[in-house]
Amino acid sequence: MTATDAAPTRSAAAPDEAPPSRRRKRWLGEHPLGLLLSTPYLLFIGLIFAYPIVFSVWMSFQDYFFAAPGAEVDRPFVGFDNYLAVIQDPAVWRSFGNVGIFLLINVPLTVALSLLLATALDKVVHARTFFRVSYYVPYVTASVAVVAVWLFLFSQNGLVNQVLGPLAPEPSWLINSALAMPTIALFVTWKGLGFYILLYLAALQNVGKELYESASVDGAGAVRRFFSVTVPGVRPATVLVFLLATITGANLFTEPYLLTGGGGPNGASTSPVLLMYQKGIEQGNPDVASALGVILIIFVLIIAWLQYRFLGGKES
Amino acid sequence: MRRRIMMTAVAAAGAFALTACTSGGGGDGGTEGRGDITIWYSNNEAEIAWGEQMVEAWNAEHPDEQVKAQEIPAGASSEEVIGAAITAGNAPCLVYNTSPAAVPQFQKQGGLVNLSDFDDGDDYITERSGDLAEQYRSPDGGFYQMPWKSNPVMIFYNKAMFAQAGLDAENPPLATYDEFLATARTLQSSGAAQFAINPAPTSEFFQSWFDFYPLYAAQSGGTLLVEDEAATFDDENGTAVAEFWATLYSEGLAGKEQYQGDAFADGVAAMSIVGPWAISVYGEDVDWGSVPVPTQDGTAPEETYTFSDAKNVGMFTACENQATAWDVLKFSTSEEQDGVWLEETGQMPLRQDLTEVYADYFEANPAYQLFGDQAARTVEVPNVPNSIEIWQAFRDGYSNSVIFGEEPVADFLTDAATEIDELAKG
Amino acid sequence: MTRLGTITRYVLLALGAIAFLFPFYYMIVGSLQTDPDPTLAGAFPDPSNITGQNYVNINERVNLFVGLANSGIFTGGVLLGTVVFGTIAGYALSVLKWRGRGATLVLVLLVQVVPFQLLMIPLYVMIARDYGLSDSYLGMILPFLINSTAVLIFRQYFLQLPKELFDAARIDGAGEFRILWSVALPLVRPALLTAVLLTFIGPWNEFLWPFLITKEAALQPLAVSLANFISNVAASTSNPFGAMMAGAVVLAGPAVALFIIFQRYFVSNDLGSGVKG
Repeated sequence: MTATDAAPTRSAAAPDEAPPSRRRKRWLGEHPLGLLLSTPYLLFIGLIFAYPIVFSVWMSFQDYFFAAPGAEVDRPFVGFDNYLAVIQDPAVWRSFGNVGIFLLINVPLTVALSLLLATALDKVVHARTFFRVSYYVPYVTASVAVVAVWLFLFSQNGLVNQVLGPLAPEPSWLINSALAMPTIALFVTWKGLGFYILLYLAALQNVGKELYESASVDGAGAVRRFFSVTVPGVRPATVLVFLLATITGANLFTEPYLLTGGGGPNGASTSPVLLMYQKGIEQGNPDVASALGVILIIFVLIIAWLQYRFLGGKES
Repeated sequence: MRRRIMMTAVAAAGAFALTACTSGGGGDGGTEGRGDITIWYSNNEAEIAWGEQMVEAWNAEHPDEQVKAQEIPAGASSEEVIGAAITAGNAPCLVYNTSPAAVPQFQKQGGLVNLSDFDDGDDYITERSGDLAEQYRSPDGGFYQMPWKSNPVMIFYNKAMFAQAGLDAENPPLATYDEFLATARTLQSSGAAQFAINPAPTSEFFQSWFDFYPLYAAQSGGTLLVEDEAATFDDENGTAVAEFWATLYSEGLAGKEQYQGDAFADGVAAMSIVGPWAISVYGEDVDWGSVPVPTQDGTAPEETYTFSDAKNVGMFTACENQATAWDVLKFSTSEEQDGVWLEETGQMPLRQDLTEVYADYFEANPAYQLFGDQAARTVEVPNVPNSIEIWQAFRDGYSNSVIFGEEPVADFLTDAATEIDELAKG
Repeated sequence: MTRLGTITRYVLLALGAIAFLFPFYYMIVGSLQTDPDPTLAGAFPDPSNITGQNYVNINERVNLFVGLANSGIFTGGVLLGTVVFGTIAGYALSVLKWRGRGATLVLVLLVQVVPFQLLMIPLYVMIARDYGLSDSYLGMILPFLINSTAVLIFRQYFLQLPKELFDAARIDGAGEFRILWSVALPLVRPALLTAVLLTFIGPWNEFLWPFLITKEAALQPLAVSLANFISNVAASTSNPFGAMMAGAVVLAGPAVALFIIFQRYFVSNDLGSGVKG
């Protein structure tokens, strides 16, 4: 990420006779327009996110709870007490472990399936619209609704188990502590895939056709073309898919909340954000929840940074 | 330039933090203000019908003190909405859907008006609700909620299924745990029902109110989960109830999986733990009967306690016209309005001598008579600090031990009691 | 070889489409059932078990027209904000070099990483109390105005455009703004679709925020009204599953329809030649 901040080197030439525009470029960079174009976004962040984030971090060092305006309450500074409470809570460790399992299944599956389906879809002539719409439908439908269908399908006597017959897992999917998280991961993959397919589909438009042609001339088969032209050609999109899938996965909340009724069985599908919600909003301990949130953010940033480094996003 | 933007952002943040600390308003308005007020009520259709006529009746007589009503959902999210509104200082004057479990937290937030501060506050509440009112008193002795209405829970059973299983559908053997378990086994083995009973096995903090707690109230003769800052359930009574449920789960008589829909209405479960609302819901679809919740050795119905599932009215400190709000509160809980409430919703006003005051109603609607009787013997969630955290801790342990059988019941009760003792101290 | 490839491709896509569409089909069937039927037979419409009652209930309880209009305004506002401010920010973060770019990019990522549940109450307090925007469209839209993921997507697509394109335009003497408008923007239409879709889903299905910020039923988007309907009806009907499914169909319907109508305008197959030319 720091590589993108590289200072322009050209403007360093002949400093003594630099015209004013050059000097301005020294201060603002080669294209000061960039700052202007980013101003609305920066203002938005400043207005909407700066205060709540700063506030949350501050809160995580206090013995804090939300109070009515004008109410006199004692909210002392407690240092790292909230962080300590979070770290000592076995439920927190379990939830991080759960998200780890989730990411291990969801992210590779998402990347592989969406790229594969997008590539197939890209070359299809007939029924293009039909396929595209069908992949998009789960993505557009509210979670509450599709979750209900999945619950119905994956319940003890649901359609899936009836089709599987004797192969049906016991206990059933969502109340099996070994299968609950993988089932959720599968659900999230299914629900979000349409979006990632579109992401890849758009990226594929930018892979030069001549690359495929020359690969064909060299005698490369479809599989080789896929790995030697397509995969490297959409690498920036892949980096993005990895990042987005990881970030949405780490912020997993709705699915365990709805699919396994608040993180059951026995907390096998509790996620950190679900814990945050329980502690901060349901139980009135926003201080501990904020500490958990800060830890989660740091954790996700480290993973995102590692992905960015190893997947080679740095050339941008 | 970048630095400048960051500075502006931080300065802006600081300014907000400042207003968050100093901007007052509302809170100390006192109890004398009069004028227009806003109230919220539940979005349940029957309750809306009651609310609309109540507001109309009030507004017709008080042109200078108009009431404006808005709906909030009855679901779990209503507590979030109220909590956020307290913090932002824009809570309405009255919320006719305040969960007693949330009251300690709202009170701690400084969001609730102590109704005992009104001259006739204490008297009005204790006169209306009698001894039942005491459970709603906060540890500091004040009433921060108006005990309003309850949904005392009982066992509903499906008569057709009982008959199919060869059981006596008019006087089903369900009074003791042994009877209940034998009945449950018969129901299942005869193929009459997939599950004998199917309370939600999920981990939301409030789910224990509809499986463990009613039976515990009955078994212990009306003991709260927490009394005198200590958990009460790590004893014979708690053990008996937990073991009873553990047996139902381990034998597969109760489902371990969340059912999409209503297991009782869909004929998946032969019994259900429900409040009086069920009468109108199941009325025609299911041929049902009702009995009090079971106890270990059987208890006479007129002595059986159960969970109240009450919703109360809270007055919020952001309210500027608290005198008007208090009058509206009294108006809406008057004998007349309580009668309309009963008529419209079938839920029980938290009022003493209910079945005598509304004798006509119960005569005309005998199905409600049992619930009306039961309403006199209800146990509320304890009004103690960290109430929701306590219930979540209880539920997590219960789920692990009783539902999924991963831990002996005795260990769960001891561990949960230790944790809850700590939480209840505040 | 190519023939075989084509067949494989179609089989793959068809299998995918079935996996994707089946639960949705199941949802429609479920919304039309009088009693829920979890068996295999329940996956097929059964004439004796069909009812439109679930939809009639919605229509009676929810003002669909007002809900749709509110959802439209809420979603439209967010889309407008994201497309206008998001594209230019994405452009600035990819093609242009300026001081602070790296820091801004970190900010975009940071915003993504923060779970909404952490910010919800402070944000509510700020918007309702400090900005005084409760019960207004602006208060509803503001926290979602610029979708940071969309900014990232725009940036990614601008990055994929060949650098020579911009260099050539600069050599031709085109100003940076002109390059954005007449060179870069026309080339990233697919990104526009992706970003619009991504952004659309958020406000369209968002329940908690508009619900917190509005108490006036006349201002509530469809998702809020339907969630109310579902929570209500679930407590007072013998078939809550059907009610839930019907609510879902009503909510998803307009979104799917819009996608079908607009999708062909966005995705172009000839971008490759456009870049070359």
